[in-house]
Amino acid sequence: MAGGGAMPEQGGGGRRRKKSLDAVINVVPAIDLLSCCITFLLYTAVWTQISRLQVQQFGSGAPEPPGEQQKALLVTLQVGERGMNLSTTAGLSVDIPVERVGGELHQDLRALGDRLKQLRSDYPEATAVTVSSEDTIAYGELVQVIDTCMGQGLISVSVTGV
Amino acid sequence: MPIVAPGKRPAPRFERSHVLGGKMKRGRKATNADLNVVPMVDMMTMLVIFLLQQFSSTGEVLYMQKDIKLPDAQHGQTIEVAPVIAISPSEIAVVGVKVADLSELEGDSGYLNIPGLEERLRDEKKRWDFIHQQDPDKKWEGTVNIQADKTIPFRIVKRVMFSCGVAGYFSVNLATLDVGSYASTAAREAPGGP
Repeated sequence: MAGGGAMPEQGGGGRRRKKSLDAVINVVPAIDLLSCCITFLLYTAVWTQISRLQVQQFGSGAPEPPGEQQKALLVTLQVGERGMNLSTTAGLSVDIPVERVGGELHQDLRALGDRLKQLRSDYPEATAVTVSSEDTIAYGELVQVIDTCMGQGLISVSVTGV
Repeated sequence: MPIVAPGKRPAPRFERSHVLGGKMKRGRKATNADLNVVPMVDMMTMLVIFLLQQFSSTGEVLYMQKDIKLPDAQHGQTIEVAPVIAISPSEIAVVGVKVADLSELEGDSGYLNIPGLEERLRDEKKRWDFIHQQDPDKKWEGTVNIQADKTIPFRIVKRVMFSCGVAGYFSVNLATLDVGSYASTAAREAPGGP
């Protein structure tokens, strides 16, 4: 309630007017600021979230990795139309055949993930893998394989042809 | 004689007086109309919060093209600013400039390198060297982004990567759609999507 005389219990004598309880906030500057923010953010907005998978090209004259990695276990993953083959310098060699999903053949990424997980538990220091792909493999399929490797901690990926 | 609305028409002096508690006063309507801006401020605040969450300080490094459908990935990192090699089903372009036709690459002699791509990448490297010639602390990283359609066979990607290596670009970033983002979800839900 705005205005009015003094309350009797305050003993004000009725001369002073009480301050209004309704505070008026000027929201115009806030609206100006928000409008500027919205304009700027809409102008600079990026609507597609694009990420990257960093790979090295195997045997292209690129700088050699540190010596510690060279001494570590070498993991090679061959990707072909019939499936994948995971091998290591420790003597492991595992075939992962393609799986049929909805009448189409796809690489069995789940089995690959399980194998890599097991490999990482056996050799925790192994962080590098060389992915060797056949020429006919689609880029999307190769990226999924690389993504699976990175998901299991093999973050240093080299790519080469067969 | 003007047409007036029917009703009480007291004398002007009577109208101005406080007789009858001022009921006869016909004051003008206030020119200041109160507008309730609280819902608008609420909406704008929500919009600013949403846009701030979407904000990316790196800006748009890659521009999505209609004929290039990127593969999905779950473990990708934030993309960096670097020369972009776009491989569509019909052509290869570097920073928007076409350097090779895919149909020609399929039928050529079988060499691994792509001369046009190499030349363009070398130009990019020379430009980088020129820009950073006064900055010896800045080391050449040789990073390049490859934005390829997911149906492109590896033999093409392999040649592109080889040419990158020959031109001095050893660190290759494969551009992917971050799984879980709006664009990736929309692409999967679209008819004909993966």
